[in-house]
Amino acid sequence: MTPEIFIQILASGLLMGLIYALIAVGLSLIFGLMDVVNFAHGEFMMLAMYATFGAVLLIAIDPLFLAPLVVAALFVVGATAYLGVVQYAMRAKANLGMVQIFATFGLAVVIRGVAQLLFTPDYRNLPPNLLGGKTVSLGGIYLPLPQLAGGLVSVAAFTGLWLLITKTDFGKALEATREDAGAVALVGIDKNRVFTLGWGLGAALVGLAGAMLAINYYIYPDVGAPFALIAYVVVALGGFGSVFGALAAGILVGLVEAVSAVILPSSLKAVGIYALYLAVVFVRPRGLFGSL
Amino acid sequence: MLSRRRFVQGTALTAAAMAGPARGQAVKEVVIGALYPLSGPSAQIGVDAKTAFETAIEIINTAHADLDLPLAKEAGLPGLGGAKIRIIFADHQGDPQKGRAEAERLITQEKVAAMVGSYQSSVAATISQTAERYSVPFMSADNSSPSLHRRGLKYFFRAAAHDEMFSIIMFDFLDGLRKKGEKIDTLALFYEDTIFGTDSSNVQRKLAGERGYKLVSDIKYRANTPSLTAEVQQLKAGNADVLMPSSYTTDGILLVKTMGELGYKPKAMLCQAAGFSEQALYDAVGKQIENVITRGSFSIDLAAKRPLVGKINELFKARSNKDLNDNTAREFMALLVLAEAIDRAKSTDGGRIRDALAQTDIPGERTIMPWKRVKFDENGQNNDADPVLLQYKDQKFVTVYPEQAAVSPAVWPMFKA
Repeated sequence: MTPEIFIQILASGLLMGLIYALIAVGLSLIFGLMDVVNFAHGEFMMLAMYATFGAVLLIAIDPLFLAPLVVAALFVVGATAYLGVVQYAMRAKANLGMVQIFATFGLAVVIRGVAQLLFTPDYRNLPPNLLGGKTVSLGGIYLPLPQLAGGLVSVAAFTGLWLLITKTDFGKALEATREDAGAVALVGIDKNRVFTLGWGLGAALVGLAGAMLAINYYIYPDVGAPFALIAYVVVALGGFGSVFGALAAGILVGLVEAVSAVILPSSLKAVGIYALYLAVVFVRPRGLFGSL
Repeated sequence: MLSRRRFVQGTALTAAAMAGPARGQAVKEVVIGALYPLSGPSAQIGVDAKTAFETAIEIINTAHADLDLPLAKEAGLPGLGGAKIRIIFADHQGDPQKGRAEAERLITQEKVAAMVGSYQSSVAATISQTAERYSVPFMSADNSSPSLHRRGLKYFFRAAAHDEMFSIIMFDFLDGLRKKGEKIDTLALFYEDTIFGTDSSNVQRKLAGERGYKLVSDIKYRANTPSLTAEVQQLKAGNADVLMPSSYTTDGILLVKTMGELGYKPKAMLCQAAGFSEQALYDAVGKQIENVITRGSFSIDLAAKRPLVGKINELFKARSNKDLNDNTAREFMALLVLAEAIDRAKSTDGGRIRDALAQTDIPGERTIMPWKRVKFDENGQNNDADPVLLQYKDQKFVTVYPEQAAVSPAVWPMFKA
């Protein structure tokens, strides 16, 4: 392997990892807030990709500028999912964990089915746009513009999220609710409202990832599944509920995936990710940055 | 899961049906099971296949005096008193285990007379085993792995070519170019990690060795992966004279996109169809690979020589708004071949249909394919299903090889440097 190839692979892994992190952080946020694993997370991303596709066809401006619109739409989707499904699942008297799993898993199946019905299973691609298919070469290292933009947006989103959580009242309410949802009610925080906003925020973040990914990725009703699988690993690796953990683990997974695709037979590249995950779980069961 | 009682019932019924006398009495309808991925990553294939079968059923069940295809002239199956064909679709999602379970359900609960399927070769492997166990014929429409017909199954039939036949014509084509003085020394194999890709690469690796081509890359990648960057990076480093991918649609699109992103322009690409037969791939990345060549069983430009092909395409297009392609043409033809045998069997009994299939002999002109004829060998494989090579030029496929089928010569060198 020449140094050039090695740097290329690290660069590609880093950019992919930033996207993985952005996909995973919403999942981590929701879990940290209320101990619910959202199995419809990949489907939220798929909806965001279709929303981008539909918006480009309807409004005909560049998908990059449509991202805020898609993020807003996904916020509504997330909040609706909580208000319409999850809050009822939370009221289960017995087997709460199972009920939550089935509720969000069922939601995933329904969203996917409806998407296939409405959008057909055909593979869609955005029409030519500002970034799609374009790439820059820095001394022989190729950086695809859509992924570069995705990586930058991911970094910006993590910065924003950090500010939101540490500097705002909402962030404090979020932290307080995750620490003790019963106690916050006593100080006048509406726990249901925080949960609704939390789900909205989680979906909005994966919506942002979907909007960026849609620029140069094919879109179809099952597109979320392989990404969601990686997101679960990222969340578990980084530590359930940890925002910074999701970022670090996302990048790590991207790098390990890229490197193991070269070192191992490429069909076994997932082995690298899971080996890393297993190693972390053995040494540190709560994940790299988990506080549980 | 199948309950034990149901299993016993099913077995008993099948046994009873097999032992029973040939009932020539009027059967109202013949039920055929079609197993396809109707959801999951390859759902688009299954949904298109559904349209192909519905087109075939329209031709079988209603009279089409103008079409010289098996069973077109009369309504229904004359051999079974005009019985109609009914098709039941089952969704296997591309999962071999679901394929097995669905095949079992179709046989024991829906009482299908025969089955057709299934796009992914890995799923065909489990379906055909189940079919064999219940003595129900399985017609493989669009599976291309050569290993499928080499398992000594009595109830497996495939009218179309397999990847050995396809790969041989690809190498014949390359040999021809070499003779003309083109420099083609190195190849890159790039294939997905299920039976389709693995079998395809095994054949290609063997042929490359025999005919003196050097493999500079031999990459087995994980199907449906979110990223192919590292894999394409290796292809780029190898920079073979011809890149030979065996990929389904999603991976095919991602491969071409990633090549663009990493600034890799292969010198030529010769594809084992699958994803590279699908319009969706060309809609997404066709511009980047103008002049790419893929193998095929079917080519739409055959319509110029045989008006029948154009007529069937119109019928199909009216339903789907798409042209027939390599996959849908094979699916359409598989159902006609199967129904033609059921008609001759004059029975819905699996054993009798199997015997009738073994006797099948349909001349190529009575198909929509460039085949010599349809006649199955002792393994259920049709060895007269001559494949073609298609080149994607000006946004459509043109047959470029073999010479007797070619509409125009291949553009070579393929991609402008």
